[in-house]
Amino acid sequence: MNKQTKVWLVLSIALSVVLAAACGGGTTNTTNGPANTETAGAGPYSGPTGTVAGVVSFNGTPPAAKKIDTSADPVCGQANPNLMTDETVVKDGKLANVFVYVKEGTVEGGKKIGDYTWATPTTAVQLDQNGCHYKPHVFGVQTNQKISITNSDHTQHNIHWIPKSNPEWNQSQPNGAPPIEKSFNRAEVLVPVKCNQHPWMKAYIGVMRTPFFAVSADTGAYEIKGLPPGTYTVVAWKEGGANGTEKTMQVTVPANGSAKADFAFGEGAATTSLNPSLKVMPAMEIPLHH
Amino acid sequence: MNKGLNRFAILVACATFFLIIAGALVTSNDAGLATNDWPLSNGQFFPKMVGNLFWEHGHRMVATTVGMLTIALLIYILAKEKRQWVRRLGVGALLAVIAQGLLGGLTVKLMLPLAVSTAHATLAQLFFCITVSLAVFTSRSWIEARTLEEDKGSLPLRYLCTAALVTIFLQLIIGATLRHSATWDKDLPTELILAHVGGAFAVTLALGSAALNTLLRYKGHSFLTRPATLALVLLSVQLLLGLAAYLTRLASPNDPQPLNPMIGITVAHVACGALVFVTTIVLTLRTYRVLPATGVTIDLTSRPQEFKVS
Repeated sequence: MNKQTKVWLVLSIALSVVLAAACGGGTTNTTNGPANTETAGAGPYSGPTGTVAGVVSFNGTPPAAKKIDTSADPVCGQANPNLMTDETVVKDGKLANVFVYVKEGTVEGGKKIGDYTWATPTTAVQLDQNGCHYKPHVFGVQTNQKISITNSDHTQHNIHWIPKSNPEWNQSQPNGAPPIEKSFNRAEVLVPVKCNQHPWMKAYIGVMRTPFFAVSADTGAYEIKGLPPGTYTVVAWKEGGANGTEKTMQVTVPANGSAKADFAFGEGAATTSLNPSLKVMPAMEIPLHH
Repeated sequence: MNKGLNRFAILVACATFFLIIAGALVTSNDAGLATNDWPLSNGQFFPKMVGNLFWEHGHRMVATTVGMLTIALLIYILAKEKRQWVRRLGVGALLAVIAQGLLGGLTVKLMLPLAVSTAHATLAQLFFCITVSLAVFTSRSWIEARTLEEDKGSLPLRYLCTAALVTIFLQLIIGATLRHSATWDKDLPTELILAHVGGAFAVTLALGSAALNTLLRYKGHSFLTRPATLALVLLSVQLLLGLAAYLTRLASPNDPQPLNPMIGITVAHVACGALVFVTTIVLTLRTYRVLPATGVTIDLTSRPQEFKVS
């Protein structure tokens, strides 16, 4: 803790006590994943791998996108005159921007997927503020993997992420400022990102210890490669409401083969599988309460 | 009595009310962290005020103005006011506005922790209370007020008013906690909503009793009946605004951004709450000014009743 932080802290406590108005604090953070420093000692995995792939669909009529009022910042209106919400992006019944990830599972031989260590990619993931909009809107990174944040707009933004297990962070980024590189050291699904200057700007980051995650494309398709053969719990997360919605499926991935896991959201959505060898659990819709 | 001082105190109180509205706009627009910088915004004294920076930096500018006005008011008081306790209250106003500025900075630097944000919102109301009190104490009506006949009710009115004031202040703290516990895109915690609704019943009961007793007991004494009537009117408006604020806030997590109906109504609810608070302060101060201290006396020296057993 540096000196400045200590001064702020002492002032904060003193003033709060004197004013006797500090009521109701103390929310408990839920740990969503262990720090990346924790390893179970199984070392890196080497051996045959398989794939989980599928399509995310949306049943019924998707909620209409809402028009965003950008009048507070004329630059946003000029750059993106018809800015709409992208909470539910559906094309031909297929749903984009769903974060699909392997939550847990057992590798053939009995070890847990989390027992292995998975190398952190050296390439940074790009997060651009473009047209007063985050691109990409939903993405995943591994713990300690760099996220390079850029501002392509001719206006200033601030990037504010609000995790539960990682430190909260807020930083202004004027137009023309150099990229900012940040990372998370704890796994957490999903970290909301917002711009407090333009409150409609939102993004979500899935922070994983493993590389086994993907985001559904405009076609609803996703693919998770490089999984050791085994049985896994695969989760699909879709934003919406206060905390989003999850669906869970259990799949068995063969060595050098592929398991198919399709997810569906919307009215009467049920999880489907086209692979007869697949062990399928009934779809569970879990409202998240972080 | 110095008319100029009184007018200036009223100006500072009005500016403080405007500052409370500006602060409420920051919260409702979710603009508190539009910059991570403080006291400057993005390293500038006059940044480009676009997006939510308009609300955050605008609030800081209004706060700076109120700070300057408070310094000027203190100088004015020290120059013109003879009453020591009023002079001390002027010093208190300056200390409160300094503390308030520091709390504002803290809450930005610490990224809006609930305790600090709530303290900031609560001290805003207390500072408003001080500036309104200064305006009351320097007014002609206060200085020339004459003592009224003894309190006719069973409970002294000043105690009823004090109870209402304390209840309102507690309700303001709950309200501030509720407002800062979740941003517009998150659901408000149910337990705090219930506490705030319970507080609304308590305030209605406490302030209703105080104001109605004032109107019934001191009919024709406008020094007391005016703030009592105003308090009742504002309380009615505030209850309606509270219901409207709840409904608009309930829907806001599904909105793409903070929308004007939610912003307007929640800010009006905060502003009206502040007015209910200061109107009750005026009423309470005036009861202490013109009503005798003794209302109910308990004679501890009287003999216990003797019972004869036949």
